[in-house]
Amino acid sequence: MITEDLETFSDTVEEEHPVEACTKCTACNTVCPVARSTEIFRGPKFLGPESERYRDQQEATVTAGLDLCSGCKLCEVTCPSQVSIQEYIRRAQNKGAREKGRTLRDWLLGHTRLLSRFGSLTAPLANFGNRNPFFRLLMERFVGIHRRRPLPKYQWLTFENWFKRRNRQNSPPPLGEGRVGATRRTVAYFYGCWVDFNERRLGQQVVAVLERNGIEVIVPRQQCCGIPAVVNSNTDLARKYGVENVRRLSMLPEGVDIIASSTSCGLMLKHDYAHLLEIPGAEAVGARVYDICEYLWMLHEAGELDVDFQPVDTRVLYHAPCHLKSHGIGYPAMRLLRLIPGVRVEEVDEGCCGISGTYGVKVEKYDLSMKIGSRLFEAVKAAGSDSVLADCETCRMQVEHGAGSRSAHPIDILARAYGYR
Amino acid sequence: MKCDVAVVGSGLAALVATRTLQRAGRDPVLIWPGLSSLYFLYATVDVLGYANASSAQPVEEPAAGVRQLIAQNPDHPYARAGLAALEDGSSLLLEWLREAGFNWQGTLNRNLLLPTALGTPKPSCLVPTSMVAGDLQRDEPIAFCGFDGYQDFVPELAASNLSGAWNGGGRTVTAVRVSLPGIKPDRLFTSIDLARNFEDATFRREVAGRLRLAVKDSGARLGMPAVLGLTHDTDVHAEFEKECGHPVFEIPTLPPSVLGLRLFDRLRRHVQETGVEMIWAAPAHDAEVANGRCLRIHLKSAGREQPLEARAYVLALEDAVDGAWRAGAHTVRDPFFHQVLAQHATPAERTDESLFAPQPFATVGYPVSDRLQPVDKDGHPLASNVFVAGGGMAGYDPTGIKARGGMAIATGYRAAQEAMAA
Repeated sequence: MITEDLETFSDTVEEEHPVEACTKCTACNTVCPVARSTEIFRGPKFLGPESERYRDQQEATVTAGLDLCSGCKLCEVTCPSQVSIQEYIRRAQNKGAREKGRTLRDWLLGHTRLLSRFGSLTAPLANFGNRNPFFRLLMERFVGIHRRRPLPKYQWLTFENWFKRRNRQNSPPPLGEGRVGATRRTVAYFYGCWVDFNERRLGQQVVAVLERNGIEVIVPRQQCCGIPAVVNSNTDLARKYGVENVRRLSMLPEGVDIIASSTSCGLMLKHDYAHLLEIPGAEAVGARVYDICEYLWMLHEAGELDVDFQPVDTRVLYHAPCHLKSHGIGYPAMRLLRLIPGVRVEEVDEGCCGISGTYGVKVEKYDLSMKIGSRLFEAVKAAGSDSVLADCETCRMQVEHGAGSRSAHPIDILARAYGYR
Repeated sequence: MKCDVAVVGSGLAALVATRTLQRAGRDPVLIWPGLSSLYFLYATVDVLGYANASSAQPVEEPAAGVRQLIAQNPDHPYARAGLAALEDGSSLLLEWLREAGFNWQGTLNRNLLLPTALGTPKPSCLVPTSMVAGDLQRDEPIAFCGFDGYQDFVPELAASNLSGAWNGGGRTVTAVRVSLPGIKPDRLFTSIDLARNFEDATFRREVAGRLRLAVKDSGARLGMPAVLGLTHDTDVHAEFEKECGHPVFEIPTLPPSVLGLRLFDRLRRHVQETGVEMIWAAPAHDAEVANGRCLRIHLKSAGREQPLEARAYVLALEDAVDGAWRAGAHTVRDPFFHQVLAQHATPAERTDESLFAPQPFATVGYPVSDRLQPVDKDGHPLASNVFVAGGGMAGYDPTGIKARGGMAIATGYRAAQEAMAA
């Protein structure tokens, strides 16, 4: 018999997954790349849901061990109960940092856009300094950036300026040379700080590949996605950036999809703005965001992708970034590459590369970051291929540094197959 | 996204279904909702340990036992899948394990009797070679080996239980303990930590040396917790055995199961290496049905729902483990067709107070047709191209009869066959 009491007790099901959904199965601890590499780290189960049960917003956060979490989110990917394990760690890290203050180093690394803007304006000088052993020693001593970590090279001409200049000088190339489908599409490109200040060429390739397929590319004004701030325990700053981006991207006309070529920028826009940062309006924006390869594959399935590829005779390895797994879209880059004649692509399935954005840059985490990535480096060396593809820019930096190989975004091969340099 | 056959799940049933499709030249995609029971519950592949949940007499010949069970109980998942699916699925799995570099043994015609971590004998059918020396049908004395500070295996308890239970107390069982190099006993560590340490040759040699000194009986087999390597079990076990100078066998421990993790990780990597795409972190739900066929299901990807169109679908869900069902206060529904699978006046009706009694919640699942299609309350298929394998089937409760692996293999294999024909 159904009692009155139980009748009023809702029969609807909680679709969100609170901390109580954790069954303490330990799946997350077994896949955690940090826990695998150091005994000091107690693992996501303990620092996430287990500690969360005892955390009190009114009391000071116990921060011991929290900063070792690199934020790869493999714990969440693995959780059979879909608990937001990493988000609990993130919130506690951030609360701890708010209480105790941040180091200058972490403040700087959180302000990547500011730092990159400066690096770009002073490009020859900044690049010289970043490669000068004496300067690096000083940086390690006084800032806390490990001296052996290669820092990205800055470019004087930003992607944003290149794009503006191109559109001013000669109107964009005629659309639709290789157009197959009937739909007229316009996309907004969220290029991110990396493409803007460090790898303009990737942005140019993304634009070329999209335009080749008859898609109009617009570049809205944008701010840093905020992930460097998130991982440096500065969610207030990340939220500020996020609010700005959501406001701008919300103004895009209906039907314009948003494309990101950086895995982690894309994940911020799709997921973290709405969940971790709780930005109003973020869900509507997130639902419009596509990873570039995800988008191109969608075009292919709709019969709208130009598959008139030139053969590219190459054997490449593909490393799937941890944050790509969090997108929940599979590996669209692998599917696209298999369409190109001559391309032999193999996955190196050795897990996290270890750099996790700015994590592996820090003096106290550099060695750990290299240890985490060691399995991947060995596999890359053993495979004897000249190039590793990865969708994430810091994964590419780490693989180049750790395995001594070349690296590129998968779009690079696609652009070559379309005949672009 | 579009694909040929979508397999939803990450347990043994899902993996066997995927492999079956792949071997037949089809192009499956594996939708992965998180780690599965393979990883906490599995060590061996048990086909039939007991004829029914209250029997105390182990089944000696699993295949014969299953044949009998099918004859007596035509609604049992084994009966739905058929004995042929069990036989063909097991050969497929054993061949797959060999190809993936694993060393497993066993046939459907004989159960081994292996000691558990509590020292009770348990019937098992297909087992990793690293466990075989523990067979209680053999006579050599056993020394259980534990490690200081490791809480998930108590050799003294296992020894005292087994010495009473094994052949009426007619065999020698002892217990030893050694300390581990470099690990302080006050540090909390798990079988996973230990398994990683055992992959290091120096660590292994040191432990083997300490065990050799501790075990006095030169003819004893050494039973130790299953921590001999997280990935390279075959090599680690063989080398450790040589260094100890005794036959060594592994005993499954509390979750997480190192043996299950090895199995899952290797098979997952193998399907990926051989070209099957796996979509991580995307729990599936909401089937769209038109004219009796499922057109698409939806994946909960970051930011939005991702439609997935396949010609056929295998739903290898795992009920209680992966939270597949949506349970409110009174009703349990499924996430794909939103069918009411069970109704209870109070949630307490779903459980039995005795932990070791069959649990009513375990049997909640899709009623299925002869072809393993989920059916509505009138017995009509909800969609002709959707097939159920594993714990998602109604009446699927392998715990008491010790049939977890066999039922997963049989239903996974059969569901894949049906998906190919759909």
